[in-house]
Amino acid sequence: MEIDSYIEEEAARRGRQLAALRLWDANIWLGKPAFFPLAQELAPENMGPLLSRYGCRGALVSHWDSVHLGAQEGNQALLAAALPDNVYTVWTALPTVPQEPPPLPHIGLTDCRLRGVRLFPQTHHFELSPWVLGRLCEWCDERYLPLFLWHVEIRWSEVQALAAAYPGLAVVIETQWQKVLYNTRNLFSLLESCPNVLVESSNLVGQDHVSCLVRSFGSERLLYGSFLPANDPCAAIGLILDADISAEERTNILGANLERLIAGVRI
Amino acid sequence: MSPGYIVDAHVHTGYPGLFFSPEVDAASLLRRMNQFGVQYAVNLGSMRNLLESSLGEMEKAQREFEESGERIFFCGFFDPRRGAADLAVLEKSAGFRGCKGIKIHPSFNKVAADDDRYEPAWRYAAERRLPIVSHTWSASSYNPVQVLSTPDKFERFIRSFPQVRLVLAHSGGRGDGRKEAIRLARQYDNVYMDFGGDILCQGYFETMIGEGLHDRILFGSDYPWIDARTHLTRVYLADIPTPAKRRILRDNALAVYGLE
Repeated sequence: MEIDSYIEEEAARRGRQLAALRLWDANIWLGKPAFFPLAQELAPENMGPLLSRYGCRGALVSHWDSVHLGAQEGNQALLAAALPDNVYTVWTALPTVPQEPPPLPHIGLTDCRLRGVRLFPQTHHFELSPWVLGRLCEWCDERYLPLFLWHVEIRWSEVQALAAAYPGLAVVIETQWQKVLYNTRNLFSLLESCPNVLVESSNLVGQDHVSCLVRSFGSERLLYGSFLPANDPCAAIGLILDADISAEERTNILGANLERLIAGVRI
Repeated sequence: MSPGYIVDAHVHTGYPGLFFSPEVDAASLLRRMNQFGVQYAVNLGSMRNLLESSLGEMEKAQREFEESGERIFFCGFFDPRRGAADLAVLEKSAGFRGCKGIKIHPSFNKVAADDDRYEPAWRYAAERRLPIVSHTWSASSYNPVQVLSTPDKFERFIRSFPQVRLVLAHSGGRGDGRKEAIRLARQYDNVYMDFGGDILCQGYFETMIGEGLHDRILFGSDYPWIDARTHLTRVYLADIPTPAKRRILRDNALAVYGLE
């Protein structure tokens, strides 16, 4: 009974902590999850209740169709989704040449909720290099739109070259859809090399990696992301809540950094 | 002062090699155990032990057990390609009080979990009343050797050795393997699982308790691969009864590994 009481107290304490956070989530996905056959599909009408459940004040949402069907399919689904006011979108982009049918971020943009652009260079078969993506990077840079990249979709040297070529462009390395653990040596070197690179935290699960990253590069370089509905948001939240970092650093990571990033977008 | 009550049923010590880890040794692990309220941990082996089990590694694990105040228990390792040699190491270390089970890793050793060459380990575990803990995962497009460790491959031995408690580490992974792990745990009384690793699935605990598996799930971090903080808040805030949380965080591991 003594242990049960402790568990209940600890659950209540963590629940209070969660309720007091100003959470902004950089990584939620609509549609049928690829790669996770047992994960539940998240529908747009469930976004509001889901965010309320975790006390989340806002989020960036993407669509799984972008991965397994194609960029335009996912973008179209995001356009069609009725989303709460505090939810913004991340569209999937392709190189500007050859010119491809819309909807793509740089062609006929009609989504005023757009706050980020993602690329899948491996899945969609193009090089992550300035000679392929230069115009798109300039387009994003002019609008202060961050560029999102899954670590499993990149070659680290290519990202370093791209981020160095566009120092004003925020490049967010996402730690999905597999854990980034086996690439953290590259990740930390990239952060040191390019001040405009940030990291999304949903699968930054290595021992004390959150604190190490904050100590080395500052809390401004890390964004909380849940990877809902595949992941339990309390995994990434717990890592940051219990990390050996200051309250201010925690606040930055769990919401303030993302709020600042998307507040700067001009479209 | 109480050292806590949680049992972390899945840790490792030693340099992992494959990735950056700022903490690698038993002393660092013990500091973290104290920080997070972990009373006991079960060390499932160093990289060196996975590559070649030896009496020296078992003696090192026993020293870590003693130096930790008998809080870091450990498992021996069995590689079916070195069957007789590894059994001899297990025999020689049978008197070590900290040794509480046998770890196998079909994917790492590239021998499928249903291969006949595992039978001596199962027989040894049955004779010594030790649990077996194995790496498990789902069939994987990016890591093909995982197919050697899918939960269904363990069924022949689970059936043949009902007295041996089997822990399916990682709960069969993040894909269809988890469905198989649940089926086995529902069907056989000697099947358990931990959620060590990045088994961060939304609704994991609610699903497991809904399947009636409250006495089969073990908390495991996979330190230093995975930070225990990844899982603690998830368990505390899961929508399951408090006694189920206690079983997951403590009671089930105590029972499986016979720690008290």
